[in-house]
Amino acid sequence: MSKSLKQPNRLKEGGRIDRSRKLSFTFNGQRYQGHAGDTLASALLANGVDIVNRSFKYSRPRGIVAAGAEEPNALIQLGSTEAAQVPNVRATQQALFDGLVARSTNGWPNVQHDLMGWVGKVGGRFMPPGFYYKTFMAPASMWMTYEKYIRKSAGLGRSPMERDPDSYDHLNQHCDLLVIGAGPAGLAAALTAARSGARVILADEQEEMGGSLLDSRELVDNQPAAQWAERVLKELAGLDNVTLLARTTANGYHDHHFVTLHERRTEHLGETAPLVNGHRPSRSRMHRVRAGQVLLATGAHERPLVYGNNDLPGNLLAGAVSTYIRRYGVVPGHKLVLSTSNDYAYRAALDWLDAGREVVAIVDARPAPNGEWVEQARARGIRIIEGAAVLEAKGASRVNGARVATIDAGAFKVTGQAETLDCDTIASSGGYSPVIHLASHTGARPTWNEEILGFVPSLVKGVHAAGSARGIHDLAAGMADGVAMAAQALEALNRPVQAIELPQVEARREGAACALYQIPHEKPTLRAPKQFVDLQNDVTAAGIELATREGFESIEHVKRYTAMGFGTDQGKLGNINGMAIAARCLNRSIPEVGTTVFRPNYTPVTFGAIVGRHCRELFDPERYTALHQWHVENGAEFEDVGQWKRPWYFPQTVNGKKESMHEAVARECLAVREKVGILDASTLGKIDIQGPDAREFLNRVYTNKWLKLEVGRVRYGLMCKDDGMLMDDGTTSCLGENHFLMTTTTGGAAGVLEWLELWHQTEWPELDVTFTSVTDHWATMTVTGPEARKLLAEITDIDLDRSAFKFMDWREGNVAGVPARVFRISFTGELAYEINVQANYAMHVWKTLFEHGDKYGLTPYGTETMHVLRAEKGFIIAGQDSDGSVTPEDLGMQWAVGYDKPYSWIGKRALSRSDTRRTDRKQLVGLKPKDPTVVLEEGAQIVFDPDHAIPMPMVGHVTSSYYSPTLGSGFALAVVKGGHQRMGETVYLPMADGKTHAAEIVGTIFYDPKGERQNV
Amino acid sequence: MSDSTATRANVYDVRPKTEVPAESPLAWSYHTSGRPSVSQKSRVVLRERAMAGHMILRGGAIVLDEAVRGVLGFGLPARPNTLSLSDDGARSIQWLSPDEWLVIVPGGEEFTLERQLREALGDAHYAIVNVSGGQTLLELEGDKARELLMKSTPYDVHPDAFPVGKGVTTVFAKANLILRRPTETRWELVLRRSFADYCYRWLLDAGAEYAIGVEK
Repeated sequence: MSKSLKQPNRLKEGGRIDRSRKLSFTFNGQRYQGHAGDTLASALLANGVDIVNRSFKYSRPRGIVAAGAEEPNALIQLGSTEAAQVPNVRATQQALFDGLVARSTNGWPNVQHDLMGWVGKVGGRFMPPGFYYKTFMAPASMWMTYEKYIRKSAGLGRSPMERDPDSYDHLNQHCDLLVIGAGPAGLAAALTAARSGARVILADEQEEMGGSLLDSRELVDNQPAAQWAERVLKELAGLDNVTLLARTTANGYHDHHFVTLHERRTEHLGETAPLVNGHRPSRSRMHRVRAGQVLLATGAHERPLVYGNNDLPGNLLAGAVSTYIRRYGVVPGHKLVLSTSNDYAYRAALDWLDAGREVVAIVDARPAPNGEWVEQARARGIRIIEGAAVLEAKGASRVNGARVATIDAGAFKVTGQAETLDCDTIASSGGYSPVIHLASHTGARPTWNEEILGFVPSLVKGVHAAGSARGIHDLAAGMADGVAMAAQALEALNRPVQAIELPQVEARREGAACALYQIPHEKPTLRAPKQFVDLQNDVTAAGIELATREGFESIEHVKRYTAMGFGTDQGKLGNINGMAIAARCLNRSIPEVGTTVFRPNYTPVTFGAIVGRHCRELFDPERYTALHQWHVENGAEFEDVGQWKRPWYFPQTVNGKKESMHEAVARECLAVREKVGILDASTLGKIDIQGPDAREFLNRVYTNKWLKLEVGRVRYGLMCKDDGMLMDDGTTSCLGENHFLMTTTTGGAAGVLEWLELWHQTEWPELDVTFTSVTDHWATMTVTGPEARKLLAEITDIDLDRSAFKFMDWREGNVAGVPARVFRISFTGELAYEINVQANYAMHVWKTLFEHGDKYGLTPYGTETMHVLRAEKGFIIAGQDSDGSVTPEDLGMQWAVGYDKPYSWIGKRALSRSDTRRTDRKQLVGLKPKDPTVVLEEGAQIVFDPDHAIPMPMVGHVTSSYYSPTLGSGFALAVVKGGHQRMGETVYLPMADGKTHAAEIVGTIFYDPKGERQNV
Repeated sequence: MSDSTATRANVYDVRPKTEVPAESPLAWSYHTSGRPSVSQKSRVVLRERAMAGHMILRGGAIVLDEAVRGVLGFGLPARPNTLSLSDDGARSIQWLSPDEWLVIVPGGEEFTLERQLREALGDAHYAIVNVSGGQTLLELEGDKARELLMKSTPYDVHPDAFPVGKGVTTVFAKANLILRRPTETRWELVLRRSFADYCYRWLLDAGAEYAIGVEK
């Protein structure tokens, strides 16, 4: 234990860590110590932890390669408790906090001794590209078995099995300019825009803003570069028009400059957000930014070189070596070999030397490197091997040597005798790839720039890139570019530009880089030690070569066949190398091969942040009526109807036992048929229609006639789409010559209002008519049953005499002291009054009805009873008995179609099409099961001949089916081909359980066919 | 009211003449979700202006403006997505769409107002619809009110984009509502009755970190 607390690779001084604050953490069960300001990766390196994972496919030991978002190996599982589990966190992006508990994502049963290791040792011949397709596809039935073990050994992390104690949220942001990346170019750009008065958001994914300035060897205004960053950030933080978002990754660039930023608000503080004033703030937050213009200052990712065993722990990116030394005071080894194609990477060797460790050699692929840093290295006595590269790393679980030789990169040949250098670390640099992911999300294909040997982003209108993100890697030039691009963006917004004074950066003479991707080996690629291109997905140069040999020539196909750049990696390190290798194999240039498409998200985003607070009780709106509290207090079970919560039935407790739904519905049905029931019908859509042309408009949107409906009367109407199919139904009342109240189905309310507006605004704007939703304004209570009149009479001043207030009349008056409109319409077939009052008074009216209702047996009923009662009467429900392919005629409702109306109405023409005139259309009929105890299944298919060979011709289906307590039997509504002409015939319903039900086709009205009960 | 007006439209006072218990759309929410008390720490304060008169006016702007000026003493807002207020701020008219305005007046005034407007408008084509039972108004104040709105609506509520006097119909969480800013410090939300509970629960949840309080 004490040994591991030593941090053998921690330098005595330097770095941006707080040495006074020691933090302890656990990795794979072992306790370690780090400092505030460390990432998990820097702390692991400080402690000399070489192996952090096992690779995805070959299960090879892997160490930390990078220092940022591009890290391919150090994917870890966080969390000390089940609820706190977080998969696939990059150790390079996780700030260290006290008590952090992490495990390797891969490595079953553990990273040091891996059961799957044999696969990696035996090598690629066992798992070539396309391995899964080729091996595990047969027999197909075994895939589930294979998959279980492959998944477990590949180990892609796992989700927590317990409820997350944290909360997450969204914040909608708007700005003139969104600057992504707070390195030299981003800071210069943000400062320019901020001083110009624009609304600026500056987002940066790292723990600390400043980007490359934080580990630069260069001086800015003769001071360490980080100090300039601190000054700029201090100024920006003081400006009202600037929002600074650190620890915030721009993960997705969507249409119209809508960018999603993922801010990790408390992940650097602990597993669970710590309490602030007794409240737990959201753990992470999605900023949904709508930007006027966007400036990408996302920098560049260094490309590793592709050589043999380049995945052994101890192989790092050159830049990462510098970052660990300068930013974290960690030197990840003792003896360094640097393999490079460019000048800039020399800083790794200089920093290493400054840290007091040995630089064995710099292996430079260029024949005669001569830049300023090259000369510095030479002057400090570092051996430089020119025109050469590392062919192969040596070692088992950590690098212990590097085989180097001179090469001819153009001819892809080793030209010299290989020499093995004794070392424990190999840093490599093959150049710098601009981070073009976000620009790619917009759909713009990047373009190859031969000068910088990288793809630069193509930019759609309103997007700008600055600095390294577009290949301008020089510090001074990158800052100037930030200013220039910010000015360009501000000009696009027609905003004045306030230029800033740039700091002094000493010019540095830099020699040209050479193009170098895969290093040749003495053996052909397919036989050489594995040369990894994509470490996360275990894609090798040999795999890409094999893919091209097998005929996969498009880079998109190569990607899919090899898995290069898949998943959370998104090709950050490997894609350009992979394309270069494909280009070499196909004898094409890199631009000819092109790139694959980078997709959101740039790095993994926790689902919590995507969901925000749209979860649990707030997942979806629940709409309540004014009577909801009464329903809850009276034990209603609720049914979802759209977003509405409607009482489904009201189970009572009888002899200490709660009624089943069947029992409750039977009781409620009989109460309505024999006494009086009450339904909350407030959810029905209600549209107030006013204007001199209101009547004419109704005449055009309904199938039936409206010209003669008198004030005080109500009519039922059918509404069709222009294809003649039923869309919605309901009653409309004439309130005044120019004033109507339309009702719609609960689910159809919004759609019908839009439909009316559509036809008014686009087809008949000359009609003077307006539509206003009053669904929420009126509460509607249906009092129905033989005793309804007596009950209502007790609390209303309206004359309820049957001759004064007839069926399909409405009247105005007071009910329970509240002004009301009462409609005599019936969906039950019984005497019924629908009472409408202003919703704020509904509870009073409802309760008053119950105060008077006891003696009449007043019974609340829900939607299930409503369905049974209406079906007994053959009343349809649009959307249940119709499905968008049913005409009014199919429903047998010719009585509600005004064929001879003077002005054509919506759907009329469609009803004369040959298809709608067919006599064998599916038509609505009643079904009476031969066995009265049977309740047919809704949706059950109907056949004429149950003995027909399978597949039987299906001739219809059951649309509504219930048990009727009134009839004492099951009954159903159904659509049957030519059903209207088949009354009395028997149809059959073969069920999944092998039974076949028989039923007789009957009329749709099962109860009170003459409609006498509603007319009393 | 003239006879011809009476037969053209059915207009009556939906408020009871006698005292009758009334419930705002948030009655159930107060009952189940409660009303967190306002404290020193509250950086957002909610206040319902319940039982107000809400009317939808539809018709031509010029005709309506003249009638409204005559009856209310102030006119329609001159531009889209704005509202006009009476001098005391108690009455407002908000533009909703090119031929549609929302009028909010103290509860009890709406029927008289409707009658007077119908009188003034005579034979013009217009519509007046009382929607008082279908919505309620929430006032939102405090230094974190704007941030709370940013959590809830994609609309830009920055003062540059949402100056005093602006009002819009917009998305709020997964519902719709009317959002307006009658004064420098006060925002108003006009909620539909059936969505009111969802919006209220959302506000309490999103406002918890600002120690949101609800005034009685």
